[in-house]
Order: sequence, then structure tokens, then C-alpha cells
Amino acid sequence: MKKLVASICLITSCGTSIKAEPLPTLPPYAGVYQPKGVDEIGLWQEDDEDERALRDSSVIIRDEKLTAYLKEVLCRTVGPERCESVRIYVLKESVFNASMSPNGTMRIFTGLLLRCRNEAELAAVLGHEFGHFEQRHTLKEFKKKRSATDALSWAAVLAAAASTYQGNSSYSDLRYSVYGELYRYNRDQEREADRLGVAYLNRSDLRPQAASEIWVNQMAEITVSSQAKGFKKPQFNKVAYTASHPPHLERAATMAALALPEGNSRDDGHIRYQNAIRPWLAQFLDDQIKVGDFGASEYIITSLAQSGWTSDLWHARGELFRLRGNPRDHVNAVDFYRAAIALDPLKAESYRGQGLSLMKTGQRAEAATAFNRFLELKPDSQDASMVKMLLQSLAEVKS
Amino acid sequence: MKYLSKILAILLAVSVWPSAAFAQERTATKQGFELTPNSGKKILVFRPTVKVGAQSTGGLFEPNAQWTDDARKHLSNALRARKATLGNEVIFAPEPVGDDAIVLQEHMALFSAVSSAVIQYQFFAGNRLPTKKQDNKNDVFDWSIGDQVATLPGARDADYGLFIYNEDQFGSTGRKLLQVVALLGPRISVKSGEHRGYAALIDLKTGDVLWLNADSAMGGDVRDAEGATKRVSQLLEGIPGAALTASAK
Repeated sequence: MKKLVASICLITSCGTSIKAEPLPTLPPYAGVYQPKGVDEIGLWQEDDEDERALRDSSVIIRDEKLTAYLKEVLCRTVGPERCESVRIYVLKESVFNASMSPNGTMRIFTGLLLRCRNEAELAAVLGHEFGHFEQRHTLKEFKKKRSATDALSWAAVLAAAASTYQGNSSYSDLRYSVYGELYRYNRDQEREADRLGVAYLNRSDLRPQAASEIWVNQMAEITVSSQAKGFKKPQFNKVAYTASHPPHLERAATMAALALPEGNSRDDGHIRYQNAIRPWLAQFLDDQIKVGDFGASEYIITSLAQSGWTSDLWHARGELFRLRGNPRDHVNAVDFYRAAIALDPLKAESYRGQGLSLMKTGQRAEAATAFNRFLELKPDSQDASMVKMLLQSLAEVKS
Repeated sequence: MKYLSKILAILLAVSVWPSAAFAQERTATKQGFELTPNSGKKILVFRPTVKVGAQSTGGLFEPNAQWTDDARKHLSNALRARKATLGNEVIFAPEPVGDDAIVLQEHMALFSAVSSAVIQYQFFAGNRLPTKKQDNKNDVFDWSIGDQVATLPGARDADYGLFIYNEDQFGSTGRKLLQVVALLGPRISVKSGEHRGYAALIDLKTGDVLWLNADSAMGGDVRDAEGATKRVSQLLEGIPGAALTASAK
């Protein structure tokens, strides 16, 4: 793993061909934008309807403090005028993603918040998304897609009319090249958004190198995740025909080259970020563990622990191993729960987890002790009656 | 992420469609449900889903804000005008905020899932589930979104809820031209325009779906008042309790 990160860093710090590109500049800000023309007004209205549903959706985390913090980071990144056109929604979903739609709706997934290590990394993603908005990418893509499918439809009819082998085969070739062109166009929009994201960061007071580092970290996570599944080593430099984004390695290298070198000494807001996310960390970790990607979850937990193990992190690791559930995992899980309890003796959930794992390893007396402690600490918990039932079954076996 | 579904949509749209020769309209009523006209019941209308736009030559939906706004206005006026002929009192649901809004949104999403299941798995040939085929034979129409509907804002003062979905894609000039050329040349039938929708009545005490009418080829141009009136009468065709069903087909 360290080797991978080191090799990527090597590429990113000496990307020769990319260094030649000029640093990206920002388009002039022309005030709050309103949609123009029938297509754009139509797309915005469709999006307004979507936003209505999103606003009232139960997948949204309605934490005003968290949302205000995210908005503040966005404003620090893109500037106080630009950020006023955005509404931020945090979605309970354990994926590494964020998105931006035409009317200024920004969706941030909790999986992204869990994986960012500092404010600058978050700012890099928010800046990228804002770049899509500022360049009105959805509209451009819609128009591109429409003209491509218009042309293909005519070609399909003409090819059918000609009804020769030659005609059909040309149509087939045309189809692949048109679709390929659409996917490539998509990737170029992502490239443009990446460049804009770095440009915002360069101009802000945050460390622009973070834009590249988040991708280096992402590649490391994917590598660990594939290793745990026994998959082939993932390739980060290949572009698939249908790829929606440029390959990770290219993004990491480009953004490292575009980051202002003198910005490297700037603050990356690590402490501020950790403080803002802390109230949600246990929840985000719990959601991540339930995704069932052992390697990725283990990578995230151990990365977070680099700035010190906490009871939340030990507990999450215990849950991760207990839920994978091999006999050997329960042995590890018991240790991890014990470490969590050592840091926070009142952590009721860790007693519950410990009890469950102890049961599975046949340590009935100790399991009963852990369950009793859980019930003492949280007598009104939702799980209380289930735990009582388990206690009873432990007692029955003994007698 | 968002692109994948769009690309799939293109793939579907570009493959030239044969126009549907099978049934495009279907109505079902829950067994034993009857609503007599003027029985003093109240029907609560939830905010209809209205999408109006054009269909590009290649078959993409091109949303049009002006048409959608016009349609929303005209459809809502036409519904109000139907109050007299619906046989029972019609009230429009309030637009809630806060927790009420979240509960309502959950139910709207749930109903949208249930209604598409009815349409796809019971109503029309192609994808019917074996159990639903059996139901069709026995004239069973048994779907519910649960008794939590009783907690919806406005539900306490009403007996039934009315959900309406309406989507119009008017074939663009390019699409119509393609249709003509495809028919005259290689004799391929290309469908120009999509006009589909459904209306459903649910019991606001039990959440049971009492009546559902789905139509994938409706008439009436929703962009003007007259067309919207015709559309509403088609959407509500066969609704129990209506004094007269003015079919405008």
C-alpha cells in the first residue's frame, strides 16, 4: 500500500507533460445566473421539481450546523458571491460522491464526508461540483446528446432504407463512434470541472494540493478493497469506453500539477474538519460498515486512526469484524470492543457487540457479563428485549 | 453516475420503436368498493405530477417550462370544474412544511412505486406477474400503501385521496418528419409523441388503492384550457361516484 501511494506521489510530483499547461483561470463572475432559452428554463424547472422532492425527502440529514459548515467551506472556496446561488443537501448514502444539478442544487453524500481528511479535500470536491454548475455542463451535455441522437436516428432510417450490407455496417460503425464521442465529451466536462476546482482552491486560502491527494487516497482505498476481495490489482490509468470520468491516476497527476506550488504551505483545515464531522462520525462509520466492503471499511477506519484511536473507531472496527462473522473475526472483534471500552467505559453499544462476539466464541459467562453491563447502561434501548432474551438462553444452556 | 441512466435512455430511444398495438388503457376498482354519487364524501387531491415537453428527433424528452406551467394551471382549473360532476366534494391538499412535508413526500414516493407496479405487473401484457395474472382472472385488485396515510396533512378532513400523474412529450417537427420518412422508406413505424398518465383513488383510512386508471395514449392538448378539460375527463374516466363520465375519446 505504501508503495502504491509512493509511486503515485512520484508521478504527481514530476508529471512532466502536464506541467506545461498554464494554470487554469476562472471565468468572470457575472452575478446571480438565471436560465436562458427554452432548453435551459425547462431543465431548471424539472430540477426545481426534483429539489422540492429532495428537500422533503427522508434521506436528507437535517443538521443545520453541519449544512452551515459545508456552505461556509464552499463559500471560502468559490467566493462569497458565487456560493450564494447554491443550496446544499446532505444525503445519507455511503458512497464517495457529490453532485450538482442545473438550478444550483448541491448533493453531498455522507460517504464523501467520511472519506475527506481535511477541509481542503472537501473544498476540492465542492469546487469541482461548482465548476459543473458555473459552466452549465448539464445543459451543454443535453444539447450534445440531443444532436447526437437526432443524427443517429436519421442514420438508422437511411441505413434501413438502403438495406445493404455496406449501409448497415456503416451505421453500426457510426453508432459506436457517436456513443464513444458522447462518453468522451462527458469525461472532458469532468476534466474542465477538475481544472476549475483547482483554480478556486488556488485562489482561496486553503491548500490546493489536497485536490490531488484525495484521489491518491481514493486509489489506495480501492486497492485495499480489491485485495480484500481477492480481485486483480485495479488499473488507474485505463479509460473504458463508457467511463464517465477520467481515470484516477490522470486526475491525481493533473491536479497536482495545476496546484499553486506556493500554496503548499497553506492550512488544510484538518482540525476544523474533524471537529465539524465528529458528531456524525459514529453514524457514518456504521453506515459504511453495512455496505459490506470489508477492505474499504478497514482502510477508512485505520486511516482515520492515524490521528489517534478513539472509542468510536475501535467500536466501528469491532462491528466490522463481528459483522463479517468468521470465528477468527469474533476473536478480533472482542479485542477491539475491549479497546473501545477502555477509552470510554460508558460505551453501551460496545458491551453489546462484545457480548455477541463472546457468545460466538463460546465464552458464555463473559458474554453474560457484557450483556448485563449493556442493560445497566441502556435499559431503555431498542435492543434491550433482544439482549434479555439472549441472556436467558445463555442461562438455560448453563444449567 | 447520472449519465449511465441517461445513456441507457438514449439507447432505448434510438432503437426505433414499433408502435404499441396492444391495449393502452386500463381501469380497475377494488372488489366491493362502491361510491354512490352525492354520498357526501370528500376527495382530497394531492399535488399532481405534471411534465410537459417535446420529443426530439432521437426520442429524448425536452422539458418545456412554459408548457408545464400552462398545463399545471389548466389541469387544476379543469379539476375544479369537474367538482360538480364528480358527485362528491373535491378539496385540494395543503402544501405542508416541516415533518408533515417529509411524511407526505414519503407517501408520494411510495405511491409512485406502487402505481408503477400495478401498471407494469398487473395491468398491461408483457411483464405481468403470474400471481397478478391470477388476480386479473378472479377480478381481484388488491394494493395498499398502508394505513399511515391517515396521518397525512389534510387526511383527517377527507375520505379519499386522489393522485394524478401526467406526462406529455409532444413530437417535435424533426420527430414527425422522421416518422413519415421511416414509414414511406423502409416501412419502419416510429412513434412520435408520448401522452401518458394515471389517476388513482385511495382510502385515506386504510391506504387501500380503490381505483386506478392508467392510459398511455391520451388525447387533449394540456397546454390549453379546452384540451386540459378533455384530458381530465380521460384521466378520471370511470372514477366511482361520478355522476356522468364524459368520455371525450
